[in-house]
Amino acid sequence: MSSDLDLEDRYRRVLRLLPGYYRDEWEEDMVAAFLDSRLTGDLDEDVYVVLFGRPSWQEVASVAGLAARLYLGGATAPRRYFAWGQATRFAVLAVTLVQATRGLDVLLLTAWSRRLFGWLPAPPAGMVAAMPSSLPSAVWYLVAYAWIVAFVMLALRYYRIAQFIAALAIVPDLVTLLQGQFTGRLPAPYVGPWAFFFLLNLAPVLAMTAFHRDAPSAPCWPWLLALPANYLLVVVPLLALDLNGNSAWVPDFSGLYCILVTLACLVRLPLARSRQAASSGVWSLTLVLLATDAGAYRIFSIADYLHDRHLINVGLAELLILLVAVGLIASDAARAQAAASAPPPYPQPG
Amino acid sequence: MTGQAFFVLTALADGPRHGYGIVGEVAELSQGRVTLKIGSLYGVLDRLSAEGLIEPDREEAHDGRLRRYYRLTQDGRRALATEAELRAASARVVRARLRLTGTEPAG
Repeated sequence: MSSDLDLEDRYRRVLRLLPGYYRDEWEEDMVAAFLDSRLTGDLDEDVYVVLFGRPSWQEVASVAGLAARLYLGGATAPRRYFAWGQATRFAVLAVTLVQATRGLDVLLLTAWSRRLFGWLPAPPAGMVAAMPSSLPSAVWYLVAYAWIVAFVMLALRYYRIAQFIAALAIVPDLVTLLQGQFTGRLPAPYVGPWAFFFLLNLAPVLAMTAFHRDAPSAPCWPWLLALPANYLLVVVPLLALDLNGNSAWVPDFSGLYCILVTLACLVRLPLARSRQAASSGVWSLTLVLLATDAGAYRIFSIADYLHDRHLINVGLAELLILLVAVGLIASDAARAQAAASAPPPYPQPG
Repeated sequence: MTGQAFFVLTALADGPRHGYGIVGEVAELSQGRVTLKIGSLYGVLDRLSAEGLIEPDREEAHDGRLRRYYRLTQDGRRALATEAELRAASARVVRARLRLTGTEPAG
């Protein structure tokens, strides 16, 4: 019956969200179960449903959720999906680490300003963290600290708690942006802050979905130690530059993000080029994802500097070195995509 | 074990079922609290089969389509029994606490 194909075709179209290997195995069964769930046995009603019925949004959402889990594969997934899954998980940890380092910076500057480090001299006037004097400034401090909690929860494998805290932490930023956009209080073109919101706030929160039940656990101690290490190796030297009157050498956040990813690519390069079997390409793929994020943010945030040709040139130079660095490890990242092993065969009935 | 996986295994405890049969049985067992969408069901079936807790039983033609039936494996039966015991033990502890605080009548 041609009309019978209508609802079925619509559902099969939804199933195209799933990876090919999975559809080969499960599609027919899923279609049969779906049609069973919609057809009642009443001829008139069934004809109507078949002709005009569509998969509900809950059905579509359940297939989309399954697709996300399969594409960002766990340990039993085919190699390429596992590589994408691992790279996404590492990239989320890295971006959350960056956010947590910013939070730690706020926390330590606040503690320093309150003279909680008695052995340190008073901070210079320009670095004193003011006491929150209004609700928005108090929320700003809370958001900075929330990213530290979210990162620690992620490293300790409390994935859903981390995602919940991070999701809460991005709400004030969104409210501020919308408020600024609609009241016209914030300067045009205002692209950089929106890019920051989408690329460094919303993207990692959504991508935390990659930490699903099938995902292998990342070792927590290296990631936890990365937070103080990142602060000491990145933030402290920048503070020192700033304190010594060399603030012109301190890059903006977008530039710093590009430089850090570039350095990580260069550190990775010897192993990526060694063609050793141990190199699965997952870390290189992680760096490609981070470079995409950093590069996109650099491009959009240049819009904030349209008035200053020198800063535009600096931004373009940062972008260029990032592209070169990521190009050097691209072949290793591609290795993670190659030789996709078949999934474990599903035993046939009988 | 997730609630969905627990109910799917329970639905297969008394015999093989096809996909939609499992959905219906899970809804009945959970008194309507768990309504599996097809994408969610096959996510659970895929995971349980990878863990060796269920396996295909047979295929039957129905209205021109093949329905695949699934059954519990021995490992699946053991895992379900263990999970049921764990949940029953947890329920006993909760009930004892509630009795102690007088929020549930004894007996």
